[in-house]
Amino acid sequence: MKIFRNPDVMWREEDEYKKQALDALEKDDEAADIGTSILYYDGRMLTLNILGTEVWKRCDGRTLDEMVSELIEVFDVSPQVLLKDAAAFLDEMKEKGLISCED
Amino acid sequence: MKTDWLPAAPLTINWAVTNKCNFKCGHCYSRADPFDELDPDVLHTCIERVARSGILSVNFGGGEPLLRKDLMDLAAHASQEGLRVSMNSNGYLIDTDNARELKKNGFSKIGISIDSHKPEVHDSFRGVRGSHERAVKAIYYLNEAGIETSISSVICKINHNDIDPLTDFAVHMRVKQLNVHNFKCSGLGYSNKDELDLTSDEWRQFYIRALEAKQKTKDIDISLDDPIIALLGAGKGDSMVKGSVCGKLSLNIKTNGDITPCGFIPIVIGNIVRDDLKDLWKNSPVLEKMRNKIPTGKCVQCSKFDDCLGGCTARAIALTGDMNNPDPHCWRNED
Ligand code: SF4
Repeated sequence: MKIFRNPDVMWREEDEYKKQALDALEKDDEAADIGTSILYYDGRMLTLNILGTEVWKRCDGRTLDEMVSELIEVFDVSPQVLLKDAAAFLDEMKEKGLISCED
Repeated sequence: MKTDWLPAAPLTINWAVTNKCNFKCGHCYSRADPFDELDPDVLHTCIERVARSGILSVNFGGGEPLLRKDLMDLAAHASQEGLRVSMNSNGYLIDTDNARELKKNGFSKIGISIDSHKPEVHDSFRGVRGSHERAVKAIYYLNEAGIETSISSVICKINHNDIDPLTDFAVHMRVKQLNVHNFKCSGLGYSNKDELDLTSDEWRQFYIRALEAKQKTKDIDISLDDPIIALLGAGKGDSMVKGSVCGKLSLNIKTNGDITPCGFIPIVIGNIVRDDLKDLWKNSPVLEKMRNKIPTGKCVQCSKFDDCLGGCTARAIALTGDMNNPDPHCWRNED
């Protein structure tokens, strides 16, 4: 299933926080709490952590499996954990209407 | 996510492009402002700088933006620079042709001011006969042109009991959003506040009804941007921003380039022509103070302070002179 960002959603990465998150990952510290990108839609704002951001950036028609096989190079976790986390994130995004899926 | 998280630049800019207006609203905050406007060339350069700062969207306002002759050029330029472009208008000057032009020049969203479902109430509040009819037609033309529309209503004495019919009207007009704005008491709104503003108990009753309307209406989104609804156990929607969004997500630029935290706060923190926007955003002592409000008075003991942060900063400044004072609309009793 191909996954697409809702084109109405505006977004950008936050470089300074991204650097902090990458530094934390490098040192095996907690990075899940650091917002590295920001989504803005209908006057609302949402921040995504580094995993959310990397998944979000790939919502351009790629499938979940394709995303996971790329992200396994970036994050030091098992493919099963990554698949579970990315799927949970995408479910949440879908519920908010921020992504759509196509067969 | 951490609460002290601050983006590197605002997400959006409210940009007054002219203070000229064809209406005579009694709550206007810009008619009292100076009328000097930036030249088109300067404005184009400023738009480029705004886009390069990472800002995502600009919302043109004023005044009535359509009274600025080069509005379409400005919008096209902003859009080419990658900004999402919207505006607030009274709708009076919008017809089929310029609705298509607005679309062509990059407007994705336009908010039309309509304060009542009753034409006579809106016309008398806005000071122009026939303005309701023209605003209704404007929404129709914009919808036809494929621009997303919303209705913006300023809540005050004339309409605070009418949220249900106003919601039905907005649904009927096929707009995406009904933006309910609290009365700010800035500019002419300050001079006319005794006549127009509600008592704190009237605000409480209004928000109870508005939250009910929001809950039961599935066809449109009713946006309530007032932090004091935290007192009713309500959040401001899907946003991690507590209190007012001004200075945390957005900034305001006046016609002469002066930058203020929001259109209703008359504190100039810099000017877009000469100052670096990201530097101001990070280092302005005024913004710093707004982002770190210190509870005073009844806010000190309030269990909702973490969500409300003392309410609307613009109103606290306009009516008390100190941004840390409790929002004068707040109905919570002193302990
Ligand atoms: S007392 Fe202060 S913090 Fe509490 S709801 Fe009122 S304005 Fe907000």
